[in-house]
Amino acid sequence: MTQKNRITGGLVDRSTTLNFSFNGNRFQGHPGDTLASALLANGQIMMGRSFKYHRPRGALSAGSEEPNALVQLRKGSHQEPNTRATVAELFEGLEATSQNHRGSLENDFMEITDLFSRFLSAGFYYKTFMWPKSFWEKVYEPIIRHSAGLGRISFEPDPDIYDKGFLHCDLLVIGGGPAGLSAALAAGRSGARVIIADEDFMIGGRLNAETLEVDGISGSEWAARAAVELAAMDNVRLMARTTVYGAYDHGIYGALERVTDHLVTSNGKPRQILWRVYSRRAVLCAGATERPIAFGNNDRPGVMLAGAVRAYANRWGVSPGKRVAIFTNNDDGWRTASDLSRQGVNISAVIDTRDGEPRAQIPGATIAMGGRVMDTRGRKAIHSIKLVDGRTIDADCLAVSGGWNPNIHLTGHQRGRPAWREDISTFVPGQDLPAGMSVAGAANGTFTLAAALAEGHAASDRALSDLGMTPKGGDIAKAEDEAANVTAFWHVSESKARAWLDQQNDVTVKDIKLAHRESFRSVEHLKRYTTLGMATDQGKTANMLALALMAECTGKTIPETGTTIFRPPYTPIPMGALAGRSRGKDFRPYRLTPSHKWAEEQGAIFVTTGMWLRSQWFPQPGETHWRESVDREVAATRGSVGICDVTTLGKIDIQGRDAAEFLNKVYVNGFATLDVGKVRYGLMLREDGMAMDDGTTARLGKNHFVMTTTTANAGPVFRHMEFCRQCLWPDMDVHLISTTDGWAQFAVAGPNARKLLQKVVDSDHSITNEDFPFMACGEITVCGGTTARLFRISFSGELAYEIAVPARYGDSLIRALMAAGEEFNVVAYGTEALGVMRIEKGHAAGNELTGQTTAANLGMGRMVSKKKDCIGNVLSERPALNQDDDLRLVGFKPVNKSEALASGAHFIARGKSAVMANDEGWMSSVTFSPELGHSIGLGFIKSGQERMGEIVRAVDLVHNKDIEVEIVSPHFIDPEGDRLRV
Amino acid sequence: MSEYTMTALPALGGYQASFDGVTLQEVTATAIVSIAIPLGGDDAMAKALQDAYGTAIPRAGHTSLANDGATRFLGMSSEQMFAVFDHAGAHALDVIAGNLKDAGYYTLQSDNWVALRISGPRSRDALERICPIDLNSAAFPQGKVARTTMEHLGVIIYPDDTDSFILLSGSSSAGSFLHALETSIHNIL
Amino acid sequence: MIINHPHLGPRDAQEFVYLGDASLMDRPDWQDENAADNFHDYLYLRDNPDGEHRELWYHEQGDRSWLVVTRNTLTHEITRVELARDVAIAMRRRK
Repeated sequence: MTQKNRITGGLVDRSTTLNFSFNGNRFQGHPGDTLASALLANGQIMMGRSFKYHRPRGALSAGSEEPNALVQLRKGSHQEPNTRATVAELFEGLEATSQNHRGSLENDFMEITDLFSRFLSAGFYYKTFMWPKSFWEKVYEPIIRHSAGLGRISFEPDPDIYDKGFLHCDLLVIGGGPAGLSAALAAGRSGARVIIADEDFMIGGRLNAETLEVDGISGSEWAARAAVELAAMDNVRLMARTTVYGAYDHGIYGALERVTDHLVTSNGKPRQILWRVYSRRAVLCAGATERPIAFGNNDRPGVMLAGAVRAYANRWGVSPGKRVAIFTNNDDGWRTASDLSRQGVNISAVIDTRDGEPRAQIPGATIAMGGRVMDTRGRKAIHSIKLVDGRTIDADCLAVSGGWNPNIHLTGHQRGRPAWREDISTFVPGQDLPAGMSVAGAANGTFTLAAALAEGHAASDRALSDLGMTPKGGDIAKAEDEAANVTAFWHVSESKARAWLDQQNDVTVKDIKLAHRESFRSVEHLKRYTTLGMATDQGKTANMLALALMAECTGKTIPETGTTIFRPPYTPIPMGALAGRSRGKDFRPYRLTPSHKWAEEQGAIFVTTGMWLRSQWFPQPGETHWRESVDREVAATRGSVGICDVTTLGKIDIQGRDAAEFLNKVYVNGFATLDVGKVRYGLMLREDGMAMDDGTTARLGKNHFVMTTTTANAGPVFRHMEFCRQCLWPDMDVHLISTTDGWAQFAVAGPNARKLLQKVVDSDHSITNEDFPFMACGEITVCGGTTARLFRISFSGELAYEIAVPARYGDSLIRALMAAGEEFNVVAYGTEALGVMRIEKGHAAGNELTGQTTAANLGMGRMVSKKKDCIGNVLSERPALNQDDDLRLVGFKPVNKSEALASGAHFIARGKSAVMANDEGWMSSVTFSPELGHSIGLGFIKSGQERMGEIVRAVDLVHNKDIEVEIVSPHFIDPEGDRLRV
Repeated sequence: MSEYTMTALPALGGYQASFDGVTLQEVTATAIVSIAIPLGGDDAMAKALQDAYGTAIPRAGHTSLANDGATRFLGMSSEQMFAVFDHAGAHALDVIAGNLKDAGYYTLQSDNWVALRISGPRSRDALERICPIDLNSAAFPQGKVARTTMEHLGVIIYPDDTDSFILLSGSSSAGSFLHALETSIHNIL
Repeated sequence: MIINHPHLGPRDAQEFVYLGDASLMDRPDWQDENAADNFHDYLYLRDNPDGEHRELWYHEQGDRSWLVVTRNTLTHEITRVELARDVAIAMRRRK
């Protein structure tokens, strides 16, 4: 194929040819082309099918506002649907396909829906699918599901990678057109830190699409030179292909940089980067978007915005047609006629809705002042237009201009409402802009070039002065102000055929009128009822027209009718970019204990607990089921000695003159009386009386404690204690610092624990029962002088210690302990065995400390001191938490010992039905006890402490189990605690 | 003598790697001791610090350097600073306690942290992918320190030379932190 | 959002953890004869203003300070940031 619509001029590099394909057809274009400009150059006017009626559509625009020319780019897993051909940069080998048709683009079976359009009007979903009810799942939903959406995703994982980042600047300039470049140059030359971002790959905005001059050279050349100057400044970051998509609180902006979308492959580098930009000031120079005029069949391929037609001619050297007609209500439309005419394109007519003299001499063109287009002809591309006065004019491209709307979207991201300007018939930014933002150029309704350049410069100067900097931007670039008068004109009322407002959602003038008749008067309701302004383009070319029509229907002015609220993002953001690198293994970090490497060597199975990876059990050769491993670990520990890494428990170093008194206030039980060298179990409540966390705290010195928390609550407990310290008791001298990562800590448990430890603890530290009794603690040395801490505490119920060394020695210590324990047949045990032994011993853990259980529920009510102030003390005495039949943590065993208990089962009295009214509590933790040889459980049941020996049912409706259990003491082994103290 | 010997293992095994414009290395043998200033004890601490190190208490977000240049004090909050100095063993706490006596409360922090130095002309480009702090040399010159979050991990960062930063992050998640840095470097090169 | 920390300057709100109404600092006396009622009100009753709100933020990924931030709940404008500890001490002096 030849590029039959390619004309002279333009900013594409004609010395290089790029091959690409569209629906399998091979075409050629040049660097600098977009997919749309290249398709137009090749005469491919039709680019897709519309959403609802499957009407043939071509590109309406030349930018990111495009409603129609949505295509699928690339193939396979790289396939990306709903890409706007008007902004997709052409590259060698690009493969694109059109969307939303069954059969070929030219012959779409679904085109039949267009014939039924009168049944598919506004609110069609709400009206049609109401009855019969039984049709919903079987008939309607499958049809809707099948028809919904435009493009198709690949259903494969996205092979591209994405990244995020943080940028900082004094001034963020949003948009690289004349106003933006003027602002950035002024600020950059003044030494401010500037970021200037533009969504286009070529900096310059409309300067590249016009034939206007700046400083005596062409606008595009001036923009190119400005870009070079900015890129060379250390204090300026020039970001092309970057869309600032959202204005957030306090000067934070979101920006999406498309790094490799224009390349054949991304070579393993991030395809896009989502930037979080921290700006002290921002100037919005986002330009303006042209709006169409609604008339009959105004959606046909070949009907385009006049500014877009001019851009294709001036920037891309492409005329979308051979005989171009212009339909305008403003002076700007005339520039399309004169620019194309000057390039030798045949202008068949200029139709201006305004009366008066023609605004320019266009050779060979029919001029219709006060004229209006009421219809077009040509199914897959127009060939003629019909005027209200009955004339038919040949045209294979109709360039329409209804005036320009400033791109004010970002000004409204924080509730800002725009203001109406009658003289240019459009909304401009209102007074309540996001803090730190100003607006310049066309985005501010300043549509002419000289004024835009001046306004950008002035906005920069004002921003810098605000920041206490001296503006030294030099002279404002010189240009002429072009003619830009406009007289509002929204739709041709004489049109009988359907007139489109929102081409992406197939919303017509008739739909708006119907919605109005059905009393949808609020713009927000109108939007949701008709779907106007939804989907990828968010109605950038449609909303204003709809608003004008709504105003006409209601007899109100446009500003009285209102606008919809703008929300981020300005243009679509791929989900991959929002995820950034947070996928798979990178989704979150993980924490490893110092014995991790050693545990891996032992073949440990790991479990995720919060961010930690902990050894769950250590399978030995021949063990085929986890229970075998766990039972062995428990039996060996209770029989001789076992070792478990308990590094993950939170450790908080607490120091200060008031440290003891502080602990007295955060724990329900007393700590002021704890002797130096001793450890005590402590229970913490929330202020509402519910248990928050528990652990042991050791007193290493008069003013020095080390607290342990549960693994899960290390962060929240620290935060809570900082709150207590800073906000409640600021007069206390107490200081907190986490030492969780600093120490490798191991539990050494079992009858031979002491014998084992005596082999590694240096001999000048006696750890005999007399010198180092139950609940003792101390600073010692191990293995010839290495600093260590020893705590005689037990979670397993056995003679046990926890020994800690600085984390760097953790690997050595576990190897030393295992080697020392060889003669005792020491085992390493994981979190499963830990859990088994704590249930056998009746210790509460996460399953019991749910945030909904009180100290009394846990059987620790008497620990709550009434003689002192502590968090949760007062409200734990609430009557509702102190009923006679309160839940109490007790033990359970199956009446039939061969049956397995299930956690989550509810307790129901024998003979009663399993309904909530008969619910007496629930089973919280269960395990098989190797020691007892049967299943055991912990659970909460009403008045449990008074019901020892009673039989109730444990009903698990989820697993359809209903078994009889006996209420027993929660201390299944060694209830007197003799083993701990030997 | 014990029959078992204890060997210190750095969190990342002494990692070191060079890329085009960026060098990344684990800083080992660095001791970190946290110093909490007792309530009402600012003057006593200021005197102790002056007497022992010839320097002042750093304000939060700032650092101060001992007059021999060997110990850097990081102002972590208005009542807490970290002393950072070269020290191979596990007795760094005794060094600080010996010098500052009872002017503060001391906690050994060396093994809580992995220390990495990222340096080179492109170090800021790599960090800007994960670090929310403005690292521009004017905004964040030597003498400043910040504690923030990168890829969900708490990190303390301060410049120690031109185009060179020290990063401290939790030692248990050192592997993930290194991965985040390596990914950032890969993504910019 | 950006919180202008009294010691550390402007920092991204992502470094902070939000708690709620700053009245949580005004913990009742446990020995007061109406202690139960006072604690109930302290813990469960909050104003929910549309406008200026004093609230507690914790700089978890920073200097671990609790801050009292005065923020407009409609505009997110932050007009004042104080160290909670300073506020707490001043409250004690007034009592």
